[in-house]
Amino acid sequence: MGAYIVRRLWQMLPTMLGVILLVFFLFNWVGGDPAYVLAGKISNQEQIDNIRRQLGVDQPYWVQLGIFIKQVVTADFGASWSTNERVSHILMTRLGPSLTVVVPLVILATLISIGLALAVAYVRGSLTDRMVMIVCTVGLSVSILVYIIVFQYVFAYKLGWFPVQGWGDGFLENLFVYASLPILIGLVVSIAPELRLYRTFVLDEIYQDYVRTARAKGVSENRIMWIHVLRNASIPIITNLMAGIPGLLLGSFLIERFFSIPGIGREVILAVERSDFPVIKAITVYVAFATIATNLLADLTYKAVDPRVQLK
Amino acid sequence: MSATGAHVPRGALLPSFCRHLAAAAALVAAFAIVPAHAADPSKVIRHVFPAAETGFDPAGVQDLYSATIEQMLFETLLTYDYLARPAKLVPLTADAMPVVSDGGKTYTVRIRKGIHFIDDPVFKGRKRELTAADYAYSLKRLVDPKLRSPWAWLVEGKIVGLDEVAEAAKASGNFDYDAKVAGIETPDRYTLRIRLKEPDYNLPYILAHEPTSAVAREVIEAYRDVSGRAMANPVGTGAYKLKQWMRSSKIVLEANPDFRGFTWDFTSNDPDDQPLIAAMKGKKMPQVGRIEVSIIEEDQARLLAFQNGELDLMDLGGPLAPNVLDGGKLKPEFVKKGVKLSRIVDPALAYVYWNLQDPIVGGLTKDKIALRRAMAMAYNVDDEVRVVRNGQAIEAQYPIPPGVVGHDPKYRSSIRFDPAGANQLLDAVGYRKGPDGWRNLPDGKPFTIRYASRPDSLGRQLDELWKKALDSISVRMEVQKDKFPELLKLERQCKLMMRTASWIADYPDADNFMQLLYGKNIGQNNNGCAKIPEYDKLYEQTTRMPPSDERDRLYHEMTRLIEVYAPWRLDVLTYRNMLVSPRVQGYKKHPILHAEWAFVDIGRPVAGVPSAAGGKTVPD
Repeated sequence: MGAYIVRRLWQMLPTMLGVILLVFFLFNWVGGDPAYVLAGKISNQEQIDNIRRQLGVDQPYWVQLGIFIKQVVTADFGASWSTNERVSHILMTRLGPSLTVVVPLVILATLISIGLALAVAYVRGSLTDRMVMIVCTVGLSVSILVYIIVFQYVFAYKLGWFPVQGWGDGFLENLFVYASLPILIGLVVSIAPELRLYRTFVLDEIYQDYVRTARAKGVSENRIMWIHVLRNASIPIITNLMAGIPGLLLGSFLIERFFSIPGIGREVILAVERSDFPVIKAITVYVAFATIATNLLADLTYKAVDPRVQLK
Repeated sequence: MSATGAHVPRGALLPSFCRHLAAAAALVAAFAIVPAHAADPSKVIRHVFPAAETGFDPAGVQDLYSATIEQMLFETLLTYDYLARPAKLVPLTADAMPVVSDGGKTYTVRIRKGIHFIDDPVFKGRKRELTAADYAYSLKRLVDPKLRSPWAWLVEGKIVGLDEVAEAAKASGNFDYDAKVAGIETPDRYTLRIRLKEPDYNLPYILAHEPTSAVAREVIEAYRDVSGRAMANPVGTGAYKLKQWMRSSKIVLEANPDFRGFTWDFTSNDPDDQPLIAAMKGKKMPQVGRIEVSIIEEDQARLLAFQNGELDLMDLGGPLAPNVLDGGKLKPEFVKKGVKLSRIVDPALAYVYWNLQDPIVGGLTKDKIALRRAMAMAYNVDDEVRVVRNGQAIEAQYPIPPGVVGHDPKYRSSIRFDPAGANQLLDAVGYRKGPDGWRNLPDGKPFTIRYASRPDSLGRQLDELWKKALDSISVRMEVQKDKFPELLKLERQCKLMMRTASWIADYPDADNFMQLLYGKNIGQNNNGCAKIPEYDKLYEQTTRMPPSDERDRLYHEMTRLIEVYAPWRLDVLTYRNMLVSPRVQGYKKHPILHAEWAFVDIGRPVAGVPSAAGGKTVPD
């Protein structure tokens, strides 16, 4: 397994290089020159040139690219162009709020989706199964923006069950007071597609010979579903779960903006609005790294879940 | 100055200006030092920003929201009277208004004794008194090339000897703050003398602008980053200090326990202000002990939070106006809840410019002027007010907005919406329609107008209105979309053909607006790259004059020149609508000051209900 991990880590290099090149050329192509904004309302060319020199954007592209690669290697992306805050500090302080929402959301969404998927797959073809599938189809047809606006209006403003927005100082306060409604919205949005998908994975297993054999041997239905079927259905579930985690950090930007959660997704939008390249660079690189890492983790988990899997 | 530019002795105008200063000095009483501040920690104001702040170094930040916080943390020499309209300067840390001498070229300011910076480890346990040297240091910082301050223009080219030190810094890489600057002197601990190269009657406004706030040199040197800015460690002498800062999310200020305080003693002739005066007069200020600012970017979340009682003050942007306002008044459901509205016309101007160096729309020949004027006449500003601005704007008639010295409320622009007249004008100067139905240049060549805008909803709406306008005069138009930094870059290089731009007052004087068309400001803030000799000549005269009827007359002439040569189409003046919760007392939106927190009070707490952050209170 050690050799496999080393080989996979080695394979990350060309992928990361591709990400670096893509980010670098995309930003330089469409990102705009930040010097004209940073220079203020009234400035002359000399001041603009001075800012470009200090930011390093007056350097030839190959020099700028070299600096970018060095930043990735040293994990030091310098300071934000608009606030002068260290990028490492930005990431460290914004990661906590994002994880406070995302971690419970992923855990709850996965457990609920798997539980419901097993349940409706067990009663496949029944009225309950069909009703759940209809609700899921309708649910995933609605945009997350609609959920946010409606839930914020109804549950926070009209019913007063949650604060409309905000973020506190303590972890428990944030988790149970401020993150509750965002997590609820995240659950509503994510359970419908996951349930449909996981139900399909479970149904693929339910008709297998080993299930019939287990029943013939008198194994209880609970054991068949939760042990035998779930274990065999778990590989595609893990694949789906791991692939979605890095995206969740950035994908929750709408929730973070509407609920004033100082997370990573909101920071990305802010950085794009401000043409703050150091922040954009760092977040993009780290998300790419997280994607590759979770893929590797998924592969390793396959082996743990199913001993027949060979890591080559 | 006369209309023809003949010289009038400066002394004839100076006394009038000095009288203005003397009158303003009478308002010192409003800020008279009282023994201790009366801020109550249980009185909390919750405010909201629709966009994130960037930091709290007065010389280093340029966004409105950072500046709003800075006004509470730091102090300028001068400030504005809370109720006087148009905005009127009064001393803040200065003992009195500056003494102007040498024909408007020398300003001498005495600083009050006994003002101290908030305690900070940098001061090693000693009280650090504010001195004239702190202001001298702050002024020098604006031109430090390493700091790349967006506010360098406030002093650059104006103060004797300052540019030379900045030039030396560019060569050496280090700004020598100990180098002698002839134009910035501190003859004693509490006296600051500024000598200018040319008379500049706007200097007092600059001394009230937050980039010139006092910072302590040792604090900056202790906390500065690689670019010389101390963005995260604000140490000032203001009424409040930074208690907590969750970047881009929450800012908490706490009353500065060492702040000298002042007695609320403002006056106004406006009948609407009298209840406010009656409620606040004589109170020791500041009353509010804690200010919590949330950053909420989304409109719905902001409004719901306000309606839910989570906020006390909120700037109601244009998109939200139909939810809350009926015309210019609050809807009954808000009135019923006791919500108040403080509404002003912003000291800001939106205008459309044409690039006077562009081969199609530029130039001062008859046909080019006619083309620009026809486009200006084809555009219906009323449509923009109704459709784009949700009724929260009015058509601008004069380039100097209300609330700014030099504004003339009676002036009416000669450029009016008149598509028929615009068509006749184009026909008359030879812009004939071709077989495709679009007009061609007088030489018969086809042409297209490129209207530049940002890729946002406002940009798209304006695109449509301008397309409709130019279609009505059979002028072909295409939209040039680009990100804001790129538009700025192209604009500075005189490469855009036309765009809707806006300008908000840095200080409430007409000069801040009329300079936008001055020929020597091309490449800076003259975004239409206009060079109109008659205009420039008049502008140069106005810069040497204090505010006066004579200067206003010249502004009238310059405005007529704008209408004649049509480098601009004046667009709109927007309303700023501040929603105020029932528990806030004494609030009135100031046109220049960003935050009014130090001038207001909070109603008494409800018995038995905690009144800390988020607690409930009712009005007295």
